[in-house]
Amino acid sequence: MSGPDIFEQLLTWSLYLLGGFAWNITISLVAVAIGTVAGYMLARGRATKHMLSQRMAILATALMRNVPTFVFQFYLIFMLPDTVTMPLGLGAVPFPSWLKASLALALAVAGFVSDNLVPVLSLDGTERRHATMRFALHWGNYLVIIVMASSTASVIGVSELVSRCNTVINASGTTDMMLWVYLYAMTFFFTFCFVSTGLIRVVSRHIGRRDVPDASGA
Amino acid sequence: MSIDSAKRNQLGRIATNLNRMGLTVLWMVCLALFSPVHAADRLDTIRAHGVLIVGVKTDYPPFGMLTTNAEHQGLEHDLAVDLAQRLGVQLRTVGVNTTNRLQVLDDGRVDVTIATLGDTAERRQVATLIEPDYYSSGVSLMTRPDSPVQRWSDLRGQTVCATQGSYFNRTIVQRDLLKLQLYANGRDAKLAVRDRRCVGWLFDNTAIAGDLLTSEWHGYRIALPPELVAPWAIAVARGESSATLARFIGDTVAQWHRDGTLLALEKKWGLPPSSFLLQMHALWSAKDPDGQYRCRRLADDQWPVACRNQIFVTSTNLTGLRRWGLWLNEKTGINLTYLYDDYERTIFLHGIALTLALTSSCLGGSLATALVLVWLTQRGPHLIAVMVRGYASLARMTPPLLQIYLLFFGVGSVASAHWGIRFNAFWIVVSVLSLYTGAGLMNVLDHAADEARTVDACYVVNVHALARLLAESSTVVSASLVNVAKATMMASAVAVPELLSVSTYIVAEHGNVGTMMNTLMVFFVFLIFCVLSLLQWAQRRGAHVRT
Repeated sequence: MSGPDIFEQLLTWSLYLLGGFAWNITISLVAVAIGTVAGYMLARGRATKHMLSQRMAILATALMRNVPTFVFQFYLIFMLPDTVTMPLGLGAVPFPSWLKASLALALAVAGFVSDNLVPVLSLDGTERRHATMRFALHWGNYLVIIVMASSTASVIGVSELVSRCNTVINASGTTDMMLWVYLYAMTFFFTFCFVSTGLIRVVSRHIGRRDVPDASGA
Repeated sequence: MSIDSAKRNQLGRIATNLNRMGLTVLWMVCLALFSPVHAADRLDTIRAHGVLIVGVKTDYPPFGMLTTNAEHQGLEHDLAVDLAQRLGVQLRTVGVNTTNRLQVLDDGRVDVTIATLGDTAERRQVATLIEPDYYSSGVSLMTRPDSPVQRWSDLRGQTVCATQGSYFNRTIVQRDLLKLQLYANGRDAKLAVRDRRCVGWLFDNTAIAGDLLTSEWHGYRIALPPELVAPWAIAVARGESSATLARFIGDTVAQWHRDGTLLALEKKWGLPPSSFLLQMHALWSAKDPDGQYRCRRLADDQWPVACRNQIFVTSTNLTGLRRWGLWLNEKTGINLTYLYDDYERTIFLHGIALTLALTSSCLGGSLATALVLVWLTQRGPHLIAVMVRGYASLARMTPPLLQIYLLFFGVGSVASAHWGIRFNAFWIVVSVLSLYTGAGLMNVLDHAADEARTVDACYVVNVHALARLLAESSTVVSASLVNVAKATMMASAVAVPELLSVSTYIVAEHGNVGTMMNTLMVFFVFLIFCVLSLLQWAQRRGAHVRT
C-alpha cells in the first residue's frame, strides 16, 4: 500500500480510534476514583490505634501491592459473572468487561494511595497541606501511568484503543497496515502523556514557588 | 344319596380340571418369566440373511450425501462398503438424519449406524457406541482468504458470526472472550463473513471443510485448530444381542486405523488432514518390544486404558497419580490436571520456568539499561545526551504493550516479508520492558545527578557515584523494579508460553476456571512477594554501603 493510501486509511479510522482512547480514559478515571476512595480508607485504617483494623489494613495493602494487575484482570474476567441480579427486584444488570478491567486497575491505585497517604495523615496543619500538595502531584503522575496501563485491557476483549487497532487491521485485510496503525496509536498515548506530565510539572513549580517563603520562614 | 355323590363327582372333576388348567397356566407363566429370553444374536442374523443394513447421512458432504442418481455416497458410505466386505455379506444403506439415527437401531430397521455421530455420555445411554472412534470434529472458524487470524486468542473482543442453536456458541464465548453475531442459518452467517461484517463463521470444522470444497467458498480458510473436539463413533443397538457385532466392528475400526484406510479415505474425499487420524494411526500401530500391538483386547474384551477415549475413563480404570487426580475431581469437582496429567504437568512446569526467566531477565535488563542510559546522558557528548533523553522519553510515555505489538507484529511482519527474519517473542518482551523501565529510572537518576552537580560543580558520574545514586533513590528504584516484575506477564499477549498462557490454555481444554485462576493468583502473589523481599534486602545492603 502506498503512502497516501495509508494516510487516507488512518484518517478514515481516526474517529473510531479516538473513541477507543476515550474508553481508555474512562476506564482509568473509574479505576482511580474507586482506588483513591479505597486507598484513603486503608490509610485511615493503618493510622488508627485500633490493633485489629490496623493489622487488617496493613494486610490488605500488602495484598494489593503484591497482585499483578495484568493477571488480576484475567482472574476477574473469568471469575466474575456477566450479569448481576440487583436486590430489591431491580432486575439483572450487565457487568461489562471494561468495569472488570477498571476494578483490576483500582487495586493497584488503592495500594499506591494507601502507601503514600499514611505519612501525610501523620502530619498536621500547614505541613499536612504541603504534604497533601506533594501527594496530589504524585497522584497526577500515577493517573498518567494508569492510563497507559489501561491499554492492557485489550487482551481481555475490552474495545479500547489497542483492541480497535486490531479491528482496523483485521478490516483492512492486509498486514501492511499493522506498523502504521500501531505507530498512530502510540502518538495518541505519547501526546496525552507528554501534555499531562508537562502540566503537572508547571503546577508543581507554581506550588514550589509559593512554598519557598513558608519553608524558609518556618 | 346318589344325586349328592353324582354332584360331588362332577364338582370333583371340575376342581381337578381347574387345578390342571391353573397348573398349566402357572407353568406357562413360569416358562415365560423365568426361562432365558433367547433373542437371536445380531451378527449371526446378518450372516444368515447375507445382508448388512447401515444407516448413513444424506445431507453432510463429504461424509454422507446423494449422487445425481439419488444414490448414497461419501466417506462413511465407503466405510460401510468395507465393513460389509469383511463380513462377507451384501450391503444395503438407509438414509438417516440427526433426529432418527439412533432410533432406527432400536427399531431394528438398521444393524449399524455410521452417521457423523459425536461420542458423548448421553448417547452411550441410548445405544452402544463402538471404541475406537473413527473420526473427530471440533469447532473452528471459517475466514476470508486474507484474514490474519492465526490463534484463538486473536479473537478476544472481536465479533464472530455464528448459527443460532449451535451447542458450542455459549462455551466458546465464555472460553475465548469474543462477541457473537447470531444468524438464523449457516448461509446468512457465511454471507456476513463475505461482506466483512465479522471476522469469521464459528462452526463445526468438518462442515466448514465440506463447504470449502464447493466453488462458492473456494479460497476461504479454516483459520484455527479445532476446539471442543468430540470424536465420532459407529453405533449399534444396545443390549447383549449386539455384543459380538460390536466386538467385530471395534476390531475392524482398529484395523482401519492401523493400515491407513481412514487416512486414505480422508485424502480421497478432499478433507484437510486431521491430527486426530494421525495420532490414532500412530497409537494403534505401536507395538510392544515383544512384537504384539500395544492396543490389543484385554481379557475382559476391553481396550487398554491408554487406547481408549479419555473422556469415558473413570478413576476405577486407572492407577497412581492419574487415579488420585480423577478421584479428587469426581468427589470435589476440583480438577488438578496440571498435577496428574503428564502433558499438562510438563507444560505447566515449563511455563513456570519461562515466567521466572522472564522476570529475572526484565529485572536485570531494566537495571542495566538504566545504568547505561545514565552513563550516556551524563558522560557522553551533548548530541548523544539529547538523543538518548528524547528516545527515553518516547519509551517512557507509551504503553509497553503497544511497543511490543509494534515491534513484534508491525516491524516483525515487514521483516519476515522482506528479509525472512523472524523475531523471538521472549527477547522482544524483555527488551521493551527493560527499555520502558530503564528509561523511567534513567530519568530519576539523571535528575539526582544534576542536583548533585548543583552542590558540587566537579561532580562526575563514575562507578562509585552511580552506586551512591542508586542507593539514595532506592525506594523509587525498588518501586519501578516491582512494577516491571508485575508487567512481565504481558508476554502472554505475543504467545510466549509462560504461565498465564498455559493456564488459559488449560482452562480452554477442561473448563476448570476456578482452580486454574486461583492457582495462578497464588503463584504470582508469591513470586512478587519474593521479588519485593529481594529488593528490600538489596536496599538494606545499600544503606549499609552508604553509611
